[in-house]
Amino acid sequence: MPEIIFTIDPTAGKLEMHVVGIAGPACEDIAKLAKQLLGAPAQEEQTAEYRLRPGIRPVIRRKANP
Amino acid sequence: MSKYLTYPDMVFTDRRLLLAALADLGYRDVEEGEALSLYGYQGDRRPETAELVVRRQFVGAASNDLGFARTPQGYVPIISEYDHRTLHDGRFLAALRTSYAEHVVDAVTQRLHGMARRTVDGNVIKITVRY
Repeated sequence: MPEIIFTIDPTAGKLEMHVVGIAGPACEDIAKLAKQLLGAPAQEEQTAEYRLRPGIRPVIRRKANP
Repeated sequence: MSKYLTYPDMVFTDRRLLLAALADLGYRDVEEGEALSLYGYQGDRRPETAELVVRRQFVGAASNDLGFARTPQGYVPIISEYDHRTLHDGRFLAALRTSYAEHVVDAVTQRLHGMARRTVDGNVIKITVRY
């Protein structure tokens, strides 16, 4: 089940957001929603999970030998 | 006379959530308009203007108006040096940002039709939203 973990530091009013369980750029939709409400983040980092592309596998076709 | 300071790095993007965060801190009477003048604690009109203003009578006896100027990026606080130092023990902007952040989490949870679980670990608030 996908989840978003928000961490708020009340001493500075700082908010961090971590999207978990969504492989690939689909989590961009969540980030876009957060940006609408929060503005551009001071720092944005893509996790290893982001770089996964579920369901898309490269297909290598070999040319038949003449 | 206390000088007004502008905080361009502290932008509140969503008007509705900013008003909700201000209400959480006890500022429910917010004047809205275009380029509203800000007034100091002696009733002196200041050169700064804002689109959202909490008038000084709703802030404190020696306070100045609190302003939020609309910019293309969002609303930027314009707060006097005195109020920045004294409101909420000098933590007004941190408290406002914290409240705003909690409203952002609520808004995201609602839009995703998710379930939120809130925990507090020491000073840090952690909210996990599952959807």
